[in-house]
Amino acid sequence: MIVFEHVGKRYGGRFEALAHLNFHIRRGEMVFLTGHSGAGKSSLLRLIMRLERPSRGRVLVAGHDIDRLHSSQLPFYRRQIGVVFQDHQLLFDRSIFHNVALPLEIRGLSPRDTARRVRAALDKVGLLHREKALPIELSGGEQQRVGIARAVVNKPALLLADEPTGNLDPQLSADIMRLFEDFHHIGTTVMIASHDLALIARMHHRILRLSDGRLVGDEGGV
Amino acid sequence: MSRHPGQRQSPQRAAQKEQPKTAQVPRRKGAQQHTTKPQGQWRAWLRHHRAMCLDSARRLVHQPVGSVLTMLAIAIALVLPSALWLTLDSAKLVDAELDASATLTAYLDHSVSDAEAGRIQEALSAQPEVSSTHLITADKGMEEFQQALGLDDVLDRLDGNPLPAAVVIAPKQPDPDEMEALAERLRDMSGIEEVRLDLAWIERLRQLSELGRRVTLALAVLFGLGVLLVVGNTIRLAVENRRKEIEVVTLIGATHAFVRRPFLYSGVWYGLGGGLLAWGLLTLGSGWLAAPVAALAKSYGAHYTLPSLGVWGSITLLVCSTLLGWLGAWIAVSRHLAGIRPR
Ligand SMILES: Nc1ncnc2c1ncn2[C@@H]1O[C@H](COP(=O)(O)OP(=O)(O)OP(=O)(O)O)[C@@H](O)[C@H]1O
Ligand SMILES: [Mg+2]
Repeated sequence: MIVFEHVGKRYGGRFEALAHLNFHIRRGEMVFLTGHSGAGKSSLLRLIMRLERPSRGRVLVAGHDIDRLHSSQLPFYRRQIGVVFQDHQLLFDRSIFHNVALPLEIRGLSPRDTARRVRAALDKVGLLHREKALPIELSGGEQQRVGIARAVVNKPALLLADEPTGNLDPQLSADIMRLFEDFHHIGTTVMIASHDLALIARMHHRILRLSDGRLVGDEGGV
Repeated sequence: MSRHPGQRQSPQRAAQKEQPKTAQVPRRKGAQQHTTKPQGQWRAWLRHHRAMCLDSARRLVHQPVGSVLTMLAIAIALVLPSALWLTLDSAKLVDAELDASATLTAYLDHSVSDAEAGRIQEALSAQPEVSSTHLITADKGMEEFQQALGLDDVLDRLDGNPLPAAVVIAPKQPDPDEMEALAERLRDMSGIEEVRLDLAWIERLRQLSELGRRVTLALAVLFGLGVLLVVGNTIRLAVENRRKEIEVVTLIGATHAFVRRPFLYSGVWYGLGGGLLAWGLLTLGSGWLAAPVAALAKSYGAHYTLPSLGVWGSITLLVCSTLLGWLGAWIAVSRHLAGIRPR
């Protein structure tokens, strides 16, 4: 599903955020991405979303070199990926409901189908009762869960999450991880960047370790 | 600037692009395939248009002062060229009258009798270039001359009539060169003393109205650019205000067309509002000027009413202003979207 071939990423010409990355993630796999702050986890996820382009090597998703995607094809590529952003990326001038509905609105779903799917997604993250609230009225952890609901509302084939449990207490973190596992069980490819070593160790999935932009560990794969 | 394939295409074609052949991430197994029929895409497209149309109208209403100021600026830029164009349009009518009054006058020899004058008039009427003729006998000419001067007793003291008989000739073509040639030929006819035509002032008026036309055109282009700038600047600020929103929807797969749509509708509303205001200003202005213009014209013994836009003029004004608003928004959004990259 995702193949990195000798991928390197430089910012501003000199600084190497990622270097010599080679790995393969199979369809339907669930993978954790870990490493110290600044190791390059977010950069790696941004390469998959094609928010950045690799300075070297190739990134293949579903067999296609995504660097070759024409800018007019990008929206349609991104619609197939659900992303939980490290900084949530919520819109503060619209309600929780409308934030979660955004990907469906972009795809042009009917209001009825939209409402049904949004409520289902909000229910999964335990925020159905807050659908009319504005993001500003929510705690950091609640905002994060809204971001998760928005990422899964579209039933994407590929789910990327950047520190999805960063602001959550242990109990809620475990619940959210179980939610990701549910998606994994119905065939979604899931990739989660996380610091929470204790939590991810308990889950028995493949773990990619990054350090200073290099892959220093790849454990637990099947 | 990259063009999105769905932009300015039928939604049907955009719908086909919904499933690009390249880089299709396979749906996970077990998930229900989301098959969208083209018909559903049409409906979705129309729904988004309607939603954005209403949404941008709502945004304008929520900032009434700013919106009205923008529309007023557009209206003022539209009023001047429109007013000039109207004035020129009425000058065109005057032009037509000028053509009708372009005549030659053939003065006959003093020795020509009234009967001979009639025959000469018939001969002139038979000329292929001549449309109609009108004979003024010597006596008739004297009568008119006295009436015009209001000096009947003074002229009565003259012995004999010094005025010759004359034939006024209206040519078929009021073309200066052809009239000149005709005059040249008529001068050689027996019984005709002299042929006069005065074209210089007609020519001068023609040049003047051509000048007016060009000035109006230049002003219309300049003020049209002004409208583009006003709308463009307003939309640029709106784009800047909604930068975060644009970044987020781009992150989750919105096309350029989707992002651009609400701003284009704002441009359309500004343009339409500006056009309506301009129409109102023109109507008010001509109402305000109508009475003094009519009085002035009457004092010259003329009948002249101020031109009005009429149905087609009004429609043209509104369509032009709306298109200008749309175009200004399009330019502004396209320029600024290129500078917005999601972070
Ligand atoms: N747009 C950018 N321009 C320049 N440098 C960048 C940019 N984005 C990231 N970097 C640098 O690349 C390195 C990797 O950053 P990245 O955000 O991928 O780390 P991370 O592993 O996600 O860290 P954290 O756990 O703190 O989120 C950092 O040193 C960062 O300073
Ligand atoms: Mg990060």
